[in-house]
Amino acid sequence: MTGFRVSPICDAMRLAQRATSEKMAKPSSEESLIATEREINQMRFAQGNSSGHSTTLGITDLSFLTRFGVKGAAAAAWLHAQNLPIPDAPNRWLPLRGGGLIARLGFNEFLIEDSINSSIAPQLIELSQHPPAKVYPVLRQDAAIALGGSLILDLLAQTCSLHFRALNLSECPVVLTTMVGVNVTIIPGEIYRIWCDGTYGVYLWQTLLNIIEEMQGGAVEFEQLLPL
Amino acid sequence: MNEMRLLPIPGEWIDRRQLIDFTFEGRRVTGYAGDTISSALWASGYRILGRSFKYHRPRGILSFANHDTNTLMQNGQMLNVRADVLSIRSDMALTAINSMGDVRSDRAHVLDFFSAFLPVGFYYKAFHTKKLFPFWEKVIRRMTGLGTVDPSTPHIRTAKRYDFCDVLVIGAGISGLSAALSAAQAGVDVVIVDENLHPGGSGQYQLGGEMAQAQHTANLVKSVQQHPRIRLYTETEAAGYYDDHWVPLVGRNYLSKMRAESVIVATGVYEQPAVFRNNDLPGVMLASAAQRLIYRYGVKPMNRAVVLTANSDGYRAAVDLIAQGITVVAVVDLRESYVEDQWTKKLCDRGVKIFPNHCIYEASSNPANDGVSAAIVCSLNSGNPETGFAQLISCDGILMSVGWAAAANLLYQAKTKMRFDDHVQQFVPHILPPGIFACGRVNGIFHIEQKRCDGQRAGLEAAAYLGKSDLTKIAVLPEAESPSHPFPIVAHPKGKNFVDFDEDLQLKDFYNAAQEGFDNIELLKRYTTVGMGASQGKHSNMNALRILARITNKTPEQVGTTTARPFFHPVPMSHLAGRGFTPERRTPLHSRHEALGAEFMLAGAWRRPEYYRQRGKNREDCIRLEVEAVRNGVGIIDVGTLGKLEIRGADAAEFLERVYTGRYTSMKIGTTRYALMLDETGVIVDDGVIARLSAEHFYFTTTTSGAATVYWELSRLNTMWRLDCGIVNLTGARSSINLVGSHARTVLAKLTDFELSEAAFPYLAVREMRIAGMPAIAMRVGFVGEWGYEIHVAADSALALWDALMNAGADYNIRPFGVEAQRVLRLEKGHLIVGQDTDGLTTPMEANLGWAVKLDKPFFVGQRSLQIIAKRTPKHTLVGFVLEKNFKGTPPQECHLIIDNNEIAGRVTSIAFSPTLQCYIGLAYIKPGLSEVGNSFSIRTTDGTSVMATVSKTPFYDPDNARQKKIATVRREVVV
Repeated sequence: MTGFRVSPICDAMRLAQRATSEKMAKPSSEESLIATEREINQMRFAQGNSSGHSTTLGITDLSFLTRFGVKGAAAAAWLHAQNLPIPDAPNRWLPLRGGGLIARLGFNEFLIEDSINSSIAPQLIELSQHPPAKVYPVLRQDAAIALGGSLILDLLAQTCSLHFRALNLSECPVVLTTMVGVNVTIIPGEIYRIWCDGTYGVYLWQTLLNIIEEMQGGAVEFEQLLPL
Repeated sequence: MNEMRLLPIPGEWIDRRQLIDFTFEGRRVTGYAGDTISSALWASGYRILGRSFKYHRPRGILSFANHDTNTLMQNGQMLNVRADVLSIRSDMALTAINSMGDVRSDRAHVLDFFSAFLPVGFYYKAFHTKKLFPFWEKVIRRMTGLGTVDPSTPHIRTAKRYDFCDVLVIGAGISGLSAALSAAQAGVDVVIVDENLHPGGSGQYQLGGEMAQAQHTANLVKSVQQHPRIRLYTETEAAGYYDDHWVPLVGRNYLSKMRAESVIVATGVYEQPAVFRNNDLPGVMLASAAQRLIYRYGVKPMNRAVVLTANSDGYRAAVDLIAQGITVVAVVDLRESYVEDQWTKKLCDRGVKIFPNHCIYEASSNPANDGVSAAIVCSLNSGNPETGFAQLISCDGILMSVGWAAAANLLYQAKTKMRFDDHVQQFVPHILPPGIFACGRVNGIFHIEQKRCDGQRAGLEAAAYLGKSDLTKIAVLPEAESPSHPFPIVAHPKGKNFVDFDEDLQLKDFYNAAQEGFDNIELLKRYTTVGMGASQGKHSNMNALRILARITNKTPEQVGTTTARPFFHPVPMSHLAGRGFTPERRTPLHSRHEALGAEFMLAGAWRRPEYYRQRGKNREDCIRLEVEAVRNGVGIIDVGTLGKLEIRGADAAEFLERVYTGRYTSMKIGTTRYALMLDETGVIVDDGVIARLSAEHFYFTTTTSGAATVYWELSRLNTMWRLDCGIVNLTGARSSINLVGSHARTVLAKLTDFELSEAAFPYLAVREMRIAGMPAIAMRVGFVGEWGYEIHVAADSALALWDALMNAGADYNIRPFGVEAQRVLRLEKGHLIVGQDTDGLTTPMEANLGWAVKLDKPFFVGQRSLQIIAKRTPKHTLVGFVLEKNFKGTPPQECHLIIDNNEIAGRVTSIAFSPTLQCYIGLAYIKPGLSEVGNSFSIRTTDGTSVMATVSKTPFYDPDNARQKKIATVRREVVV
């Protein structure tokens, strides 16, 4: 017997789906609410179907990507021993070979996330079953979101108090801040990656999607935002 | 239609190709796209646009600058629409807000005849007698007011935004535009904001008939618009200033919190009215209002004008009128003499008579009482009107150009030290705080070329302040003549010479207030209400200050100004409210609860099932059935909201030993133990269960509400103590489900190969196992007093676990239960809830948790305080109680007081009807003398009646705890 896994945002898409289907006349702007359920990495998640919004403002669920967290005074050395690049300062990130990223969330805390094609995190989870001293694995069950489109900075101005324009993207910054009242980790770039506690996932998603729709954007399939 | 419309003027703000119809007081009016409500009405011949607040006098355009509070209107559900600035739309159905019936024949205008009975301080005097308060309140509410609120008005959601820049320039007039440009050219990012629809400020309407000046201004605007480092926000008000250069910017549909590195205030000045009898008649307006009407909207302010002035601006305004074919019959100058220049020459050439050292003593109303018919002009002798030599000059409009007041509200809020400049007769910045700069007319610079220089200076100074350029000195020449008259106020025995148009305050009101002892500017403001109307004194404060200075024989600087607080301009409630972000947490099982008919309740940020609805059953029945299901079969509850933490490392046990009151270093692997957390004063702050998974690995829970604060506190202590351990907060990453009841073991056994016998998995043990194929941590703990398992899995697997348990339990009628049933179940067992049965002063001794405190340990947080407290007799103690078996009345509730000999002897903390015991049971704090089992006491309920209760032993249910552990060995749980 094996259980299934579900994205923390899946409920939000279902709720949106239900709200849309309850409306007799479906306004065209809400077409984006229609969701498709998919499964990747044994995780069920829902994706928006609106294809045209990724250039204006699109949002997608990336919770299905496998990820691994670790903290502790020896975490950096342990990760280095696993042949991973280590960002040289807190609040920086680096890309991983084969896709994915490693983000340094503090002096001694790291987040490793795979791309759609890589599987480093499951290996690290396995390796950390019996961790060495001062290495503490962290179970990551984040709601992971990607945002993209030409109006992304306008959306951020309405939801987050950080001055994103002032960030130097060449330094690969990682931002720990709050967005619509929720603690989030953000990696800015052409595509903005956002992680938050999964129990806030539905709220964060719904709140962002409401604003995004006001700005003529919508929920999109992850392939439209995430280069494969 | 548009009988007062002028021929097209270059740069006007209206689109004459597009007609827009709307209604005003039920009558159809046509204007052009871009017209404001006031300009469209004025162009169509309307003169009475509103009624005054107190005397219901007819009022028209005064400032036409976003401050005409006598022309506030109601548009359907929208209140207090500012007619002088809001553009017309075809769906508008406007009415004046302060009128009984049609605004032209307002029935309340009779109040004007009774004005003698409504003197200054009327409100205070009316409310002085308590008995008459309701009467006057009713009358005043009926006679005044700012529109009618429709409670069904939908919530308008506006965005709140954050914005950032190096330099924020407030005001896009000539000086502001110049400042923005010079700062941007020095390499800083600039945002420039202006409340108007288009930038340019007075550079596009105070022309003196010279269109070239408008073109110069347009060129400046273009340079700003095209500069890549400048963002120009129009229709945006800087509504206040807060520390660290935070400025709220209010746009039409949003409020933006602007964080600037530096701020340049180029807010200009407010033109001030002259005070003379009937200065409020429709047709008497500020000169700048007339110029805006002409150059922005192509509307004639009047046909035949008298211009009252005390500066060169008035002469230029007269030339502007003449340039548009309007007859100027006279210029009345309050000054003894005037400087002859190109504008006075133009007027003389046109045959306009100039009256130096004269005043307008009175404006005469026309027979319809909706406008001016004449100006009565007197010569001045030492500033006093010589009424014996009055001349009547026929006209249909009067322009007032006698002076200005600095729009310095933001500077005051930024803690700028201001001084009164006698030469320009204006308060100007004296000492500016770091990062704040001022330029243009707010800085006392009025000449157009000098405004440009002053703007450049401020822009470069701001850039230098930010380290972007070297400071370059730019010389700015002082004004050649004063733009403001020191006392443009003329007394009249019949009064009605208004100082404050918002509040209908006349000149005599100030003398009377001073006579009554209110001769300080702050007291005067509160007594007369000057400056407390909707325009917040933009037209009245300066004249009030001058009057008080004259009465008290002081200088304006000695009188001083009132405090300027943000917001200085009204901000719609919708903007202040914004979207209203309220973070909400959901467990991964939320959709299952919804499908099962859960009625949700808020528990902190969490939404939890209070109970599950059942067809044909009320709330109480649903909860009772859930309780019975747990007691008689098997129940399941989502406890994923519990705080879930993990600690690993060589010093993990030592850390827990210091944080919690129990012993943890001696815990065997595979066991759990109750954990009680105190603060340093020995007060209970949290509790939970600690499970030892390995020698250096513990997994533990906290209360739902305490999860975040406990984690932060533990992190703080770990940083401080520097022990070899690491703490991970897994509250959101793990989900947990309680499976409880006599069939719990049978149900779980269907999903795991793990041995679940009492011997292999005893009470209070913890095991890591696979359940339905998922890795899980299971604890044999029992908050509700039945055989149970608290199962923890990764959050993304929670749905699968829930479904598996529900399927496996189907044959045993497994029933989900909510928070309310759980509260009843734990109460039957006498278990307390931290936060409900404890408060911010409760110690373990008072809560009967002394058994969980190991005072003989070397150290734990709160130990020192507890050692002191332990020597004292507790003031009260937690006991169980029951009501009579056959009690039928309204039961007491939590927080109801226990009364003994007419004194408070305690309070109820929990109470519920026990379906199992068929009576009301509860917990209460009570004086130790009353806490004996069997003792009766009285609880006073909300309606004042008393209910008798009896102290009872706990647990109320299954006192031997047999059901949760079968073979009872060691009792280790929270029992009162």
